[in-house]
Amino acid sequence: MRIWTIALSTLGSFRRNKVIVLFCGLFICVVLLMMSPLMAYKAMTTAANAQQMQGFILNEVAGLMSLVSGFGSLLAAWAAADAVAGEMKSGTILAVMARPLRRWEFLAGKYLGVMMLMAIYVVAMLGVTFTLAWLGGQRFHTALWVLLVYPMVRYAVWAAVAMLLVTVLHPIIVIAIFGVLATLITIFGQSQSHIPSWVRVPVHLVLPITDLLSEERFLVITRASVKPFGWSNHLTALAYGLDYALVCFLLAVWVFHYRSLSRD
Amino acid sequence: MATPAIEFSGVTKIYQRRFSRSPVPALSGISFAVSQGEVCAFLGPNGAGKTTSMSILMGFIYADQGESRVFGYAPGDVRAKERIGFLPENFAFYRYLNAEKLLRFHLRLSGRRTDDPNGLIAGLLQKVKLDEHRNLKIGKYSRGMVQRLGIAQALLGDPQLLVLDEPTSGLDPAGRKEVRDLILTLKAEGKTIFLSSHILSEVEQICDRVIIIDRGHLVRAGALQEMLAEGNRVEIVVDQLPEALEQAVKEMGASVEREANRVRISADTGQKRPLAEMFWAGGCDVLSLTPLKSSLEEMFLKLVGTGGSE
Repeated sequence: MRIWTIALSTLGSFRRNKVIVLFCGLFICVVLLMMSPLMAYKAMTTAANAQQMQGFILNEVAGLMSLVSGFGSLLAAWAAADAVAGEMKSGTILAVMARPLRRWEFLAGKYLGVMMLMAIYVVAMLGVTFTLAWLGGQRFHTALWVLLVYPMVRYAVWAAVAMLLVTVLHPIIVIAIFGVLATLITIFGQSQSHIPSWVRVPVHLVLPITDLLSEERFLVITRASVKPFGWSNHLTALAYGLDYALVCFLLAVWVFHYRSLSRD
Repeated sequence: MATPAIEFSGVTKIYQRRFSRSPVPALSGISFAVSQGEVCAFLGPNGAGKTTSMSILMGFIYADQGESRVFGYAPGDVRAKERIGFLPENFAFYRYLNAEKLLRFHLRLSGRRTDDPNGLIAGLLQKVKLDEHRNLKIGKYSRGMVQRLGIAQALLGDPQLLVLDEPTSGLDPAGRKEVRDLILTLKAEGKTIFLSSHILSEVEQICDRVIIIDRGHLVRAGALQEMLAEGNRVEIVVDQLPEALEQAVKEMGASVEREANRVRISADTGQKRPLAEMFWAGGCDVLSLTPLKSSLEEMFLKLVGTGGSE
């Protein structure tokens, strides 16, 4: 009950978070901008160039999905970091923590609030992607749950990592670290990388393998269909993500339990 | 014997500066207890360690040494927090909420079960005179209104112990009187109140006990009336005082203040009897003999104004 109360309050506070509102506004502008070439391709399609235009449209949709994924990760990290740091900065945490609320309950409520925001985001962005594909004359032949669950687990990992970092660091530093993490994941995620294995393997074990949690693994976007993939593979990939998020969240709880609560 | 509401035993807290290795001691082996039903003032100059003590009491920070208990539980324990209403110094709220929504949020967190939450919230807002502004966003409240709302949220869970950090700060004289009256009502209801304040005249009016700290050290703790009665001076009023006697009185360390038809002599309590006998023998009529009570402010300044702690 108390966790739920904190979660709802956190979700409500995001509507007034200037940074999140600004980011979302910019994102909507980018999506709208992406729509114009899509509509242009559509308008230019003739019987002669249909094949070529279809390729352009599908590339556009694939680009949009990557954008949605990247922005979602950033949104999850920022929302999680700001949800905790904002309370510390404003001092509202003192009145909240004076209530019969355990520290882990507070953190769990914040985390749940972030995940509720991300659920809204995933559903909304899924709607946008489908709409754009429809406008481009394409259809996704895919299991809907894959497009919902995979991004949610991926965002759960980023939110938990951000929550862990923000228990000891300023949120701006947390976002900077996220930039570094994303770069490292890209570098170390490439199997063809020239980095020696004794460096690559340990780093790869510590960093979240978000590629594993990408729904794009199962989508052949050029055909807009789903690759055949077994349930055991799905379960393993999702369990990996949830386990990573859980470990980060528990570490965040541990650090938060021992830190001083005061107005920053 | 009932469990004390608050118990501090040898509590020490040392802060570590972020970019320096030099430690800053905030509390040095503080020990005191507050019994249930008492109204206890926690006094000290700025930087004395009051807010640190209150933060330890609320479980916001951890002591480095010593032990503290709230109703027998460790600070931060949910069972202890269920019995506490807390008003932090410079209370911060979610500015986008109105008073009613904020109290509803805190009521849900407090876990207090009530058949009529709306009635409870309306009653509290009426008590702190915010019922007319219940739908106004808190961001638009004045400092005094925010403070009154803070008091309302502290009372929300029907707490046995109220921890109030500067409860009258930001309030106008009328608002301060209302808070004083509210505290006296709560005292009559048997609540334990632990408050810090710099307005010592108010403390004098409402508190049973006083704990004074300075630079992290406990300077004095005890019943307020006993402390004030310890003023070791007495005032003797006589109808007249001959010049020869005045000289002798002054030699005994007393002060003399002549008025139209009487003379006031202020002296140490130890000089009370010899002075009275001297006046009788000198033909003066002793009109009154009154022990002088020092004010809390005088006592406070005596204890900490010149550096009461070592």
